[in-house]
Amino acid sequence: MGVIDVLNLLVASLLLAGIYTTMSIGMTIIYGVMKIINLAHAGFMMLGAYFVYEVFNRLGVHPILGALLAFPVFFLLGMAVHWLLVRWLPVSDQPTLPSLLLLFGLWLVLQNVGYAAWGNLDRSIYTDMTLATVRLGPLTLSVVQLVVFTVAVISVVLLQFMLTRTWFGRAVRALTQNPFAGQLVGIDTARMSRLSFGLGIAFAGLAGALLASLYSFDPDFGRPFLLRSFVIIVLGGLESFTGVALGALILALVETFSVQFVPAGYQMAISFSLLVVALLVLPGGVASLIERRGRTT
Amino acid sequence: MTAAPTGTRTHPPRVTAARDLAAAAVLVAVLAVLPWTEWGNLRLLFTTLIWTTCSIAWNLVGGYAGQVSFGFAVFYGIGAYTAAVLITEAHVNPYLAFAGAALAAAAASLLVGIPTFRLRGPYFAIATIGVNEAVRVVMNNMEAVGAASGYRVNEMVGGQRAPFVMAEHYLSMVVIFAVALLVSILVARSRFGLALTAIRDDEDAAADIGINAFQHKLAAHALAAALVGAAGGAYARYAAFIDPGGVFNFNNSVSILLMPVIGGLATVWGPIIGGAVYGIVQEELVARFSQIHLGLYGTLLILAILFEPGGVVGLMRRVWRALAGRRLQGGPVPARGVKA
Repeated sequence: MGVIDVLNLLVASLLLAGIYTTMSIGMTIIYGVMKIINLAHAGFMMLGAYFVYEVFNRLGVHPILGALLAFPVFFLLGMAVHWLLVRWLPVSDQPTLPSLLLLFGLWLVLQNVGYAAWGNLDRSIYTDMTLATVRLGPLTLSVVQLVVFTVAVISVVLLQFMLTRTWFGRAVRALTQNPFAGQLVGIDTARMSRLSFGLGIAFAGLAGALLASLYSFDPDFGRPFLLRSFVIIVLGGLESFTGVALGALILALVETFSVQFVPAGYQMAISFSLLVVALLVLPGGVASLIERRGRTT
Repeated sequence: MTAAPTGTRTHPPRVTAARDLAAAAVLVAVLAVLPWTEWGNLRLLFTTLIWTTCSIAWNLVGGYAGQVSFGFAVFYGIGAYTAAVLITEAHVNPYLAFAGAALAAAAASLLVGIPTFRLRGPYFAIATIGVNEAVRVVMNNMEAVGAASGYRVNEMVGGQRAPFVMAEHYLSMVVIFAVALLVSILVARSRFGLALTAIRDDEDAAADIGINAFQHKLAAHALAAALVGAAGGAYARYAAFIDPGGVFNFNNSVSILLMPVIGGLATVWGPIIGGAVYGIVQEELVARFSQIHLGLYGTLLILAILFEPGGVVGLMRRVWRALAGRRLQGGPVPARGVKA
């Protein structure tokens, strides 16, 4: 493996990490504020992909523009789902099994909606961008991956900005750190849960919509990505927004480089084993490791 | 998981156990006699019994011990492959092969359980999703047993292919089901079962009174895996062809989890009701509309969580209490969302 190959793989990992961050950050928001593990995440990603597919085919909207459109649509959808189902769950400061099962049921329903509406054939979105590449010195980059990466990074940066600079963001971080103290200082938990559930679903929709430009999809589209999101948020430490980006980068690096050493068929097994290993040895995530290092020195 | 309300217990445990055992004996006797009568679609009953056995097994871990696993297809698949290989390659008697399947699945459950039971509640649940997918991917690439293209089961009797006798397949499954039912009743009314319930309700408090939660969870998991593995073995012999996309499918894990939740968690009869409904509905629905069952089960799951965490059994108890309300003194009914 030459230097160029390594460089190419590194860039590929970085591009992958961008979209992985967008995909997982929605889960972190919902987990942080509500302590709910959103198993329906995969279902909303799938709907996001089909949303772009439909606006592209019917209205001729460019897929990247479609992905941006998906964000507000899925925000409203998420709030509706929260109002209809999620708000009835018992409130808890740790994940409960009813919440897991409820959202799992929702995932099954969404998947079924997908099968009913679009059948089980693979769909894909093809534009002028799909096969275009740019050369950057010795590196060859795919245009669509670059664009997706850019959108993903911008969305995450905007989220980070909102989390640190607005009242809503401060409330989200307060509830993530200590829900009771948050309530004491007058944060409306019910409203915040609704908004953050909407935001989490909006990110799921956006990620699904962006992934639709990269991969083909069917109604079972989200499942491998759901598992990857688990790996990422567990690596990131579940509640840390910066940890998610780190986790995404680690998973992307492992996935990209493992192809060199392990037969492609086993590649998925590596990500899933990484999940179990991460849950066991790093319950606080990578971020906690760095924090601990920082504290002791 | 919110515990299913146990309701008013009007009989001491021993009486209830005797009543359950008597009901189980009648059910198994009726099932065992069916092949000699004109009633009953044996194929449908066979698959329903497979599902019901898995449902009973899952309830031991997910219901009594409260450890929700999304990975039971692993044990089903390992049981199926073990029995298939034993029958085809080693010409082992099929019934011994089922026992081998149960042992292999129990061994696998330890391999899965020892790391994952260090995690609690939902983290355990998520880890099992990872285990399920990882095992399926590995089996999809395992050339020794045909990888993704599957494995053909060849049962030889005296140098010839054994004839297919539906009644024999069915009766072997009745036996496995009976064992599962017996195990379930014994666990429900034993110290072991009480310990599992204590772990579900509050793991730290259970540890305080001297229950080794880790060991109890592992034991329940191994017991459940053995039952599921035997059922998988019976399926492999019946189907004569298995592939990783079929037996290790994540959807199997989902189905195995849905049945007891819908029927009634942590009860003896809930998983059986859930399994019977599921098996019959599944066979009838899948034949007609290929994918509609996902939405149906999703909806049932949502409704169960929101309105009746006790499942069908909880609903029946509620109706029974409403009907008998005047004659029997009602016990305290836990409010929704409150840990019973």
